[in-house]
Amino acid sequence: MEHKAVYYTAEEILKRGKNDIPSELQSGMSLVYSSPATLAYNSPGAEGFGVKRAGLSVPESVMLIVAPGCCGRNTSLISSMPEYKNRFFYLEMSEPDLVTGRHLNKIPDAIREVLEFLRDNRRKIPKAVMICITCVDALLGTDMDRVCRKAEDALADGEFAGVKVRPCYMYALTREGRRPPMVHVRQTIYSLLEPMQKDAHSVNIIGGFAPLENTELIEYLKLAGIRNIRQISTCRTYEEFLQMASANFNIVIDPEVRAAAEDMNKNLNIPYIELTRVYSTDKISSQYKAFASVAGIDIVDSEEKTEADEAVARLKKAYPDLVFNIGECTNANAFELALSLTRMGFKVDEIYAALAPENFVYVKNLALLSPDTKIYCNMEPTMLYYRISQSKAHVTVGKDAKFYCPDIPNVAWNQDTRPFGYQGVRDLMNKVFEALKEAKA
Amino acid sequence: MKGLRKVLTPFAPDQSGASGVLYSMGALTVIIDAGGCTGNVCGFDEPRWHDTRSAVFSAGLRDMDAILGRDELLASKIKSAAERIDTSFVAVVGTPVPATIGTDYKALKKLIASRINIPVIAVPTNGMKLYNEGEKEAYKALIDEFAAEDPSDAKEQIVLGMTPLTYGKDHIDISLDDIRNIRGVGKLIAASSSGIDACMYLGREYEIVSPVYRNNIPEGIKGRTLVCHDEVVGKTLRDAGVDCDIATFFKLHDIVKQDGDKKITEEDEFIEMVREGGYDTVAADICLKELVPDYEGNWVDLKCFAISGRT
Repeated sequence: MEHKAVYYTAEEILKRGKNDIPSELQSGMSLVYSSPATLAYNSPGAEGFGVKRAGLSVPESVMLIVAPGCCGRNTSLISSMPEYKNRFFYLEMSEPDLVTGRHLNKIPDAIREVLEFLRDNRRKIPKAVMICITCVDALLGTDMDRVCRKAEDALADGEFAGVKVRPCYMYALTREGRRPPMVHVRQTIYSLLEPMQKDAHSVNIIGGFAPLENTELIEYLKLAGIRNIRQISTCRTYEEFLQMASANFNIVIDPEVRAAAEDMNKNLNIPYIELTRVYSTDKISSQYKAFASVAGIDIVDSEEKTEADEAVARLKKAYPDLVFNIGECTNANAFELALSLTRMGFKVDEIYAALAPENFVYVKNLALLSPDTKIYCNMEPTMLYYRISQSKAHVTVGKDAKFYCPDIPNVAWNQDTRPFGYQGVRDLMNKVFEALKEAKA
Repeated sequence: MKGLRKVLTPFAPDQSGASGVLYSMGALTVIIDAGGCTGNVCGFDEPRWHDTRSAVFSAGLRDMDAILGRDELLASKIKSAAERIDTSFVAVVGTPVPATIGTDYKALKKLIASRINIPVIAVPTNGMKLYNEGEKEAYKALIDEFAAEDPSDAKEQIVLGMTPLTYGKDHIDISLDDIRNIRGVGKLIAASSSGIDACMYLGREYEIVSPVYRNNIPEGIKGRTLVCHDEVVGKTLRDAGVDCDIATFFKLHDIVKQDGDKKITEEDEFIEMVREGGYDTVAADICLKELVPDYEGNWVDLKCFAISGRT
């Protein structure tokens, strides 16, 4: 038996076409290997923002996980972080619960007991309780909206009146569905907003659960006269979060929040504009031009574009033949980043990412510039046999890439805060430069 | 309220226990889930994952696979992987998903076995029991499939139940050959609750002792002590001369249990034991101290990976 991780070159994929992407590169077609990338998705407590952390991005909220014990097991990784202390609670399902569904009847009392526990321990009473349910209730067809309404009603008369109860669906089973968990949880979060008077000088940036990094976008908005730029992660209180309903428009920075943006458009009359994170400065420039035109503002981006281009040039000058390996456990679309780096004049030897049809366009263009770039899928079982000795890279980007290539300098680039625009390009180039400099030293 | 946890996070579940037993045996282990359960195992409950990779995979189930009971698709995925991964047998491990749809593990095992030419075992875990139950089920499945009635090449001694979930970095792995020859082994040692169950299942004589704590009383234990860990850890300390009661969130066999010992399930039961017991020392994972912040006695940190996830 040949011990070899399966890969396809960009050229091979181009020849097969968009409608014939190899099954080994697609999600959901085979058993799933537990690489760091799949773990980051599948193990919401492991890192990044899964459903649990996402649900708790609502200020002054707590979460009750109603599920078999196994579903909450790894939450201790998150619970140990100071910002999540006393915010996770568990109602463990038993086998009889599975058969009778009686766990659902226990939820109102469990919420009350949690609130009393917080009160008795002199903790702040939360403004919202997020109920996290998992695959079992997905299969049981539980109407969680009704369960939450009932629980909210049960709190209506008494000291906990006004506490909101909302469902968070941690349904890994629906990962490739129309409303995967990370889409749904964003809808849940923003469903807490209620209509209020509009403020022409307010804008929301939605999609992330941690703030944007120090990106030029914020400055452009301020220069355009926007006084209130809100992101959920920068709202310190529930009241401040509710003010997001006053926004004149939303800026969508992650496609997974598009459904929530649609809801807000419909229910709160807040239209949205979508901006994509890319690593090509020309594309960033044209995106800002389009954004300025639609939003009716002026954006002068020449200085920031120059800075980003200079960072690229500095890296290129120091390491003219630089070869990258790129993972998907990173603040980038691995295929778009690979294409951008190749257009900058660098080489990309390997990519580790599942190839969805919508990313075929990047691979198609990549194949024309770098036909030999190898594409592996993090989920493919044969990744068990991936051997670093095959790789020609000088540097890797992504936490998963480090896992596969532990001896090559790495820039994880998977921080919670979100790089964006020219700032993303500039900082990534500088990080790569520093990583290589450090390795050389 | 029964089942409500306000301080502690859930303990290692049965599927983690089963996977832990299988980890060192060269199996192609398939956890029948959508991804999250495997994430919990490899990303949290398996401290060996980042050092020695084993063939642990998620079945990658999706809603329609579960709703329509697409066992044929699962068998095909396993066949495809088994053709490309070196393995001596396939182990399928249950989770809440197959428990909810009522998967027939015997039939599933038969279906998979009909597609591949290596042995298959099925471990009927459901994610709602604790890790010791999963370890027990894994041992039983391995013994049923592989243990020879009259082995020719048996070891002098085998320790059962000394897994990372109970002992962290002090674990002792056993191999598939150990299981094959287990009926002929000179001496069986049960190092944890699941070890007792496995030995009982074999119907052989065995010794109940923790090799880690035999003649090794942790520093700081003094006076009347409450030991909260696996029952065998408590028994070993008691046998070594510690004046203790045993509290365990896991199983407490009659063969170990003495007056004052208690199998506990809820946070409140532990709190009550500590508050009412008048113990000079509590020997338990330090994460449990959060339940009794007002306890003023002596606390000895007896790490238990299955409780806190600390090695």
